[in-house]
Amino acid sequence: MKEVEEKEEASVYQRVVLKNASPYHYLKVRLVLEDDSTRLSAVELKYFIITGLKSLYGEVGAALNFDVLKYDEDTLTAFLRVYSSLVKLWSSLTLLGSYQNQACAFRVLQVSRLNPLPKNM
Amino acid sequence: MTSSELDRTPRTLLVSESSSFLDPKNRISAQVQQLHFNHQVSVLLPECSSAPSHLDSVLNNFSSFYLIKKLPVYELLDRHFLETAVYHGAVFGLSYRTRIDEDNCVALMPNVVSVDLTDSSMAPGRRSYLRLLTSLKSRLQLQTDFLLSHHPGGGASIQPLLSRCDWSQHRPEVNCRVLTNLPCPAPLSCDPHSFLEWLGAVDAGISCENSSSSFLSSFVCPEPNTMHRHALSVSVSGLLLPHDIHRLLQELRRYVEQPRLASWVSMTVRGFADSPVSCSNHEHGFLRGGENFYTLMMFHDHTYQLHLAMGAHDVCPP
Repeated sequence: MKEVEEKEEASVYQRVVLKNASPYHYLKVRLVLEDDSTRLSAVELKYFIITGLKSLYGEVGAALNFDVLKYDEDTLTAFLRVYSSLVKLWSSLTLLGSYQNQACAFRVLQVSRLNPLPKNM
Repeated sequence: MTSSELDRTPRTLLVSESSSFLDPKNRISAQVQQLHFNHQVSVLLPECSSAPSHLDSVLNNFSSFYLIKKLPVYELLDRHFLETAVYHGAVFGLSYRTRIDEDNCVALMPNVVSVDLTDSSMAPGRRSYLRLLTSLKSRLQLQTDFLLSHHPGGGASIQPLLSRCDWSQHRPEVNCRVLTNLPCPAPLSCDPHSFLEWLGAVDAGISCENSSSSFLSSFVCPEPNTMHRHALSVSVSGLLLPHDIHRLLQELRRYVEQPRLASWVSMTVRGFADSPVSCSNHEHGFLRGGENFYTLMMFHDHTYQLHLAMGAHDVCPP
């Protein structure tokens, strides 16, 4: 991660440019299951994602630090925050194909570096 | 692929400026005008449980906009439309629900466009104009859902165009929430990213009450923080005019400069993620995330902090 700062000071005015200074990525994802009526709790969802990380990246990968910031159980939509390794988390979500013997898929709806994006129009 | 290669991601920029409204060279008005296509503005007022009447009236009086279904793009070149609306700089619009990296996107701006409709070679009747018109009519029949808006007073100029299309008028959606027992970080004490993250979380209804042993989330409010008994969070969404946002900004300034419990307010303006242009006519890119927003923190003593966020394919604003 690089951080570049340029400061121009003229009396009160100050300007700082930060490049790639945020270590977090935010993802809005939805879990699509073969059986529409299946529900998962937030804890079950996080555990499921961890199993995906483990199967692709092993024990070290499964220890990847990510947060479930917000979760809607009705639509199975979650806001996730991951520390630096977006590619690892995203690739694990892509390759997670089944939940308790039913086919499933994670749809990544939005990704952002800066702050969670609101619902689009 | 090595681990460090996996971690490399396209860059994002955060430009933070602090200055005072009393400084004649402050760029706030220019900044508001530069982002033409505003999708949402969110306001946070700490220690406030209901908006004062002036502010409430500004929030509820944002201009209406139109949604035109399946607008054939060549209609935007209609001679009458150009003469009465476009040349006066009264209208602007954006293709709706078109993804910038997958579909064709169209943006109609009040000044320069990549097809410069105000250039003399594009005047109706001239060769370039006719060529473009025939191409859009026959060879590349672009049709898109289109969001259209106009500056106050410009309503009559777009009626002929609307009468030829399937259109509906919409008012921006206003959402108001009163938050209770909200921990707020002191704005100047933490770094811009942490503060913006917290602000985004408040806006999205994300809780920061997580204990250190929580399995689900470790997200907490940045320290040092103070507990506010209540706070008002308002958001207005739609196709919003820079002019209306400017009015809101002035009203918020008046609000915060009066003696109050809380010494700051924040206003976040988000552009469309799939807009073909971002600040000051630069091309906007999407790649992984179409970040395109600015947050303005206004303080009691006429000073402000402006944070501008741009994504991977955007040019750093001047």
